[in-house]
Amino acid sequence: MAFISATCPDSSFFLEYKDENGLLRKSCMAASHRVVGDTGLSDSGPSSSTHHVPYATVLHGINAPSTSFLHQEGSTFDFGELEEAITRQVRNDEAQAPLFTGRPAATLEMFPSWPMRYHQTPRVGSSKSAGGESTDSGSQMNTTTLASKGDQTQLEPESPMSKIASSSNHHHQQHQALDQNHLQFQQQNQQLQKDMPISDTSRATTVATGATEASKGQSAPKSNHEKRKGAGSTSENKQLDAKTLRRLAQNREAARKSRLRKKAYVQQLESSRIKLTQLEQDLQRARAQGLLMGGCGGGFGNISSAAAIFDMEYARWLEDDHRHMSELRTGLQAHLSDNDLRIVVDGYISHYDEIFQLKGVAAKSDVFHLITGMWASQAERCFLWMGGFRPSDLIKMLTQQLDPITEQQVMGICSLQHSSQQAEEALTQGLDQLHQSLIDTIAGGPVVDGMQQMAVALGKLSNLEGFVRQADNLRQQTLHQLRRILTVRQAARCFLVIGEYYGRLRALSSLWASRPRESMMSDDNSCQTTTDLQMVQPSQNHFPSF
Amino acid sequence: MHYQTESWGSYMATRSSYGDPLDRIERMASENAVVIFSISSCCMCHAIKRLFCGMGVNPTVYELDEDPRGGKDLEGALMRLMGTSNAVPVVFIGGKLIGTMDRVMASHINGTLVPLLKEAGALWL
Repeated sequence: MAFISATCPDSSFFLEYKDENGLLRKSCMAASHRVVGDTGLSDSGPSSSTHHVPYATVLHGINAPSTSFLHQEGSTFDFGELEEAITRQVRNDEAQAPLFTGRPAATLEMFPSWPMRYHQTPRVGSSKSAGGESTDSGSQMNTTTLASKGDQTQLEPESPMSKIASSSNHHHQQHQALDQNHLQFQQQNQQLQKDMPISDTSRATTVATGATEASKGQSAPKSNHEKRKGAGSTSENKQLDAKTLRRLAQNREAARKSRLRKKAYVQQLESSRIKLTQLEQDLQRARAQGLLMGGCGGGFGNISSAAAIFDMEYARWLEDDHRHMSELRTGLQAHLSDNDLRIVVDGYISHYDEIFQLKGVAAKSDVFHLITGMWASQAERCFLWMGGFRPSDLIKMLTQQLDPITEQQVMGICSLQHSSQQAEEALTQGLDQLHQSLIDTIAGGPVVDGMQQMAVALGKLSNLEGFVRQADNLRQQTLHQLRRILTVRQAARCFLVIGEYYGRLRALSSLWASRPRESMMSDDNSCQTTTDLQMVQPSQNHFPSF
Repeated sequence: MHYQTESWGSYMATRSSYGDPLDRIERMASENAVVIFSISSCCMCHAIKRLFCGMGVNPTVYELDEDPRGGKDLEGALMRLMGTSNAVPVVFIGGKLIGTMDRVMASHINGTLVPLLKEAGALWL
C-alpha cells in the first residue's frame, strides 16, 4: 500500500494512507481530525511499532493484535519494568514479530527527506481534544497544562520509548527514521488519549506522565531546536541520548511517586478497615448498654454495660500509658533536671491512680469482670491475682532491674517486698474463707431455704468487691512506696521498666492470639507450625500482594 | 489473738452502764495494744486477723455479733466513726484508731505499721 503524506495548512500535519483493505485512512495530529482514531495502530510500520510495543497504555483499549507482553492489568502497571521491557524490546527489534501486522521498513524510507523542524506540536492540539474526551481527571489536568503551553515547536519526541529507541539504535537507524517514529508515536499517543477509556489510575498516571513529560520536553527542545537543526546526525543522537536519559529518569521518578501514592492509599485503606472493625465493636457495646443484663456469660453481646465501659476506659488508659512511657523515655534520655523528671514521674503515678479508681468504679457494678480478667490480655491474665497484678511479683521483677541502689534503698525494697507478701497472704486467706463460706451456703441447707440461701449467698458475693478493692489498694500503695524509696531518676527508670514489662506481656498475648491454629495438623506438620509462628506478621497481612 | 467474749457478760448486768458506745469503744481499745473489732462471718475481718497473726502480733478481737446486747450499738457507732457502710474490721493500736483494712494495708506497705506496733508493745523484734 502506498502512503501519502500531506501537510495541513494550519501547521499540523496528517498522513494519508491506504490500509490493507484499500480504505483511505488518515493519521492526523490536528484536534479536529477525529479520524485519528481510525488509524489502527496495527497499520503502523514494524520499526515504529517496536518502539511503541511496550507502551501498553498506548495499546490498551485499541484493537491491537494481542501480544501477551503488552497486555497489562492496569493496577499492577510498573513503569520501571516497562522501561526495561522497552530497552529489551528495542534491542531485539529485528527479531521481533511485533504487535502490528508487519510492514517492512518501507516506512523508514517513507519520508527520507523529512526535516525535523516539521515535527510540530500537534500534541497540544490533540491534547485539547483528549482533555475533552478523557474521563480521567489526571490526564485532564495534564491537558490543561499542555494547553497552557500553547503551540510550541516540539522538536524532541515526547516518548521515552523513542528516546530509548534512538539511544540504542542509533548505530543502525537513520535519524530520519527516528523522526518518523517519533512522529508516529506522537500520533498514536494522542489517539490513545482521545479514544482510550482511561479508567485505571496508574495507566492514566502513566499517560499523564508521558504527557507531562511531553510538555516538559516542549520547553526544553525549544532551546535545542536551533542547535539540533544545524547539528549533524551524531550530535543529534548524542543530544537525544541525553534527553532520553533525562526523560527516563523523569519517568522513573514519576513511576516511583505513583507507587508511593498507591502504597499510601493502601495504608489508608487498611487503617480505615481497622477503624471500621473498632467502630463495629463499639456499636455492639453501645447496643449492649441499652439492653438489660438478661443473661450472663456467653457471647460478646452479653457483656455488661459496666464491663464494656471499663473496657473502653482501659483501652484509653493503655494509650495514655504509651504516651507516658515515651515521656519517661525521652525524659531519661534527654537528661532532664530532677524537677522536670519528677513532674513526669508523678504524672505516671497519677496515671496509675486513675486506673485504680476506674477499677473501683467497675468493681461496684461488675466485680466478676475484673476478677476473671477479661479486660486484660491473655498473658497478663495468667498472672492475675484478685483482678490485677501481684505486687510482690512486680517487686521481684524490679529488684533485678534496679541499679545502682544504696544500702538503705535495698533495705527499703526488701521490706516493701516482705510487707506486700504478707498483705497478699492475708487477703488471699480472707478470700479463701469467702470461697469456703459461699460453698457452704450454696451447697448446704435444705431445699426449702432456696430463696434465703440465695439471699445469703448474694450477700457473701458482695464481699468480693471489697477484696478486689483491697487488692487494688495494695497495688497502689506499693507503687507509691516505690516512688518514695527511689530517687527521681531511679523511679523514672523503674516505672519505665514496669511499663515495658506489661507492654511485652501484652505483645506476647497478641502474638499468641494470632498464632496459626493448626491444632488438627499431624505430627509431621507440627514443626511447620513452629516456623509459622515466626512468620506471624505476614500471616496477619491481609494484602499480601502489597 | 484472744477473743473478748467473756467480758460481754460483765456488761450484761448493768445495761445502763453500757454508756455511750463510743466511750465503750474507746475504753476497750485502750485496754490492749492491738484491738480489732470484727464480725465472725466477715471475711475481710478474717483477712485482717491473718495479717496481724502473720506478723507475729497477738491482737485482741471483739466479735460484735457475739455480743447479744451491745453489739448492734457498737456496730452503729463504728459505722458512724468510720463513715463507711462496713463497720468492721476496725483496728486500734495503742488505744489510737488506725482505721479499716484500707488504712492498715497502706500503713503496712509504707512501713509505718511496724513501728506503731513496736511502740505499742505488740512486737518485740
